[in-house]
Amino acid sequence: MRRPDASVDWLEVLPCCIGEIRIMHRAAGSFTVSHRDDTGLEGLAVYRDADAAIELARYDDAGRYRSLKTAPNLRHGWLFVLDRLEQAREVIEHFYPGRAAAYQTWRSGELRTTPLRETLGRQTGMYRASAKISERQADELVGTFCRSDGGCLRTILWKRDAAGASPSTLLPKVKFDPEFDQTGRDEAARPLLCQEACNLLVAAARNVVKGGQ
Amino acid sequence: MQRDFRNSALLIVGHGSTVNPDSSAPNLAHAADIRRRRLFAEVACCFWKEEPSMRDALLFFRDSSIREVYVVPNFISEGYFTQTVIPRELELSGRTTERATGQAWHYCGPVGSHPMMTELLLQRAVEVAPGVPEKETSLLIVGHGTNLNDNSAVAAKREVEAIRRLDRYAAVLNVYMEEAPLVSDWAKLAQTANVVIVPFFVSDGLHSYEDIPVLLGIDVGPGGSATDRKNAGEVFRQNPYHLCGRNLYYASSLGTDPRFAEIIVEQAEAFDRHRTLPMESVTESLVA
Ligand code: SF4
Repeated sequence: MRRPDASVDWLEVLPCCIGEIRIMHRAAGSFTVSHRDDTGLEGLAVYRDADAAIELARYDDAGRYRSLKTAPNLRHGWLFVLDRLEQAREVIEHFYPGRAAAYQTWRSGELRTTPLRETLGRQTGMYRASAKISERQADELVGTFCRSDGGCLRTILWKRDAAGASPSTLLPKVKFDPEFDQTGRDEAARPLLCQEACNLLVAAARNVVKGGQ
Repeated sequence: MQRDFRNSALLIVGHGSTVNPDSSAPNLAHAADIRRRRLFAEVACCFWKEEPSMRDALLFFRDSSIREVYVVPNFISEGYFTQTVIPRELELSGRTTERATGQAWHYCGPVGSHPMMTELLLQRAVEVAPGVPEKETSLLIVGHGTNLNDNSAVAAKREVEAIRRLDRYAAVLNVYMEEAPLVSDWAKLAQTANVVIVPFFVSDGLHSYEDIPVLLGIDVGPGGSATDRKNAGEVFRQNPYHLCGRNLYYASSLGTDPRFAEIIVEQAEAFDRHRTLPMESVTESLVA
């Protein structure tokens, strides 16, 4: 991975929080990456190979598969000690795939967002039915599925439709604010951006439609 | 000579899964492998059902030195995903799509359609049953079968015919999970003392850990092997199984083979080779 422009670099200033992760400078020029809950804890399992994050990202504390990497259920108990900031980027990419690129594009002012109705309307095959979700159902679904406490830690940038309707009236305004720390810890944090509804939400919309029939 | 991809990126597209942790694992492993070889300026994965999504991948490769992006679907065959979903999500309009930045995205053939697949299936068969005489062995290639808009059964048939022509095994047969000839009829279909079974899938999962073993008559234990992480894959380490008076050798899904990484790179190279041919001699992938 090449180094992005400093202006769009989310690791420009350390320590830095991204989602449930904290990235810090350490003595002797090395870097650490850990769960924010684990900061300063002893006895963490130490990793030096960035690719170890692939497996750590896959399961929660109870060993269950995490189908959404930005869900607030990142497992605890690990610590990456890395010589280069590039390796820290790789670790973050494994924990939160694709989020660095979304952040950079957003900081460059070039991030295109897609309204939910457009995402649903584009679907084919088994997901075509998702477009039939009603406004009220969509409001409820997004309000529960995407909520930061228990759903997903991303900051929603898309609108519900081309007219600019809010994704859900049930979500607090801060869910759409990239300045807000979605973990609720109220620290300075870089946002995990959602520029377009994920496939999980599309699948959930389909289930709502199918279940409603 | 290997082509110079230093100003190019590679994007490996996979299906991914919301329930199977092993679905995306081979894609990530192949990407890491190719990355280590430093052939491309960047190597990334994207998925239909996992992160990063194909839509996220539209934001990758922003370094202006990257002039070309090779998109390689890690799928067994052309079908609904390669012809409809991937072009739509990645906004591909043909074999090559030029982005507003001038960056060219090349849409390569799926991994399973590469001619090296035959060799890989054979290597897998030899490795799972080392020293077993091929002339006294039936080789069974497992495909899904009856999948909507999916040509994986066609691909599996093509491979079986190619291996049969080599005249190495006593018999080479197609079997499917959901259509005849069925996996569960293996003992009737194969006449030899030794039987080798290779699933022609891009990743392991419930099918290879549990469904196929159950259809073969292998005792996967209470709850099956897939439910217990530590035991997932154990089913491939107990060969041979002595069932119905035969020696049965069961391989993991072909896509877990590290040599798949080589084929992914090969598909990018194949794109370039075909680029110099006149358009009509190239099998156009249908872009819906
Ligand atoms: S649509 Fe976006 S915010 Fe909602 S769950 Fe999916 S990734 Fe999270």
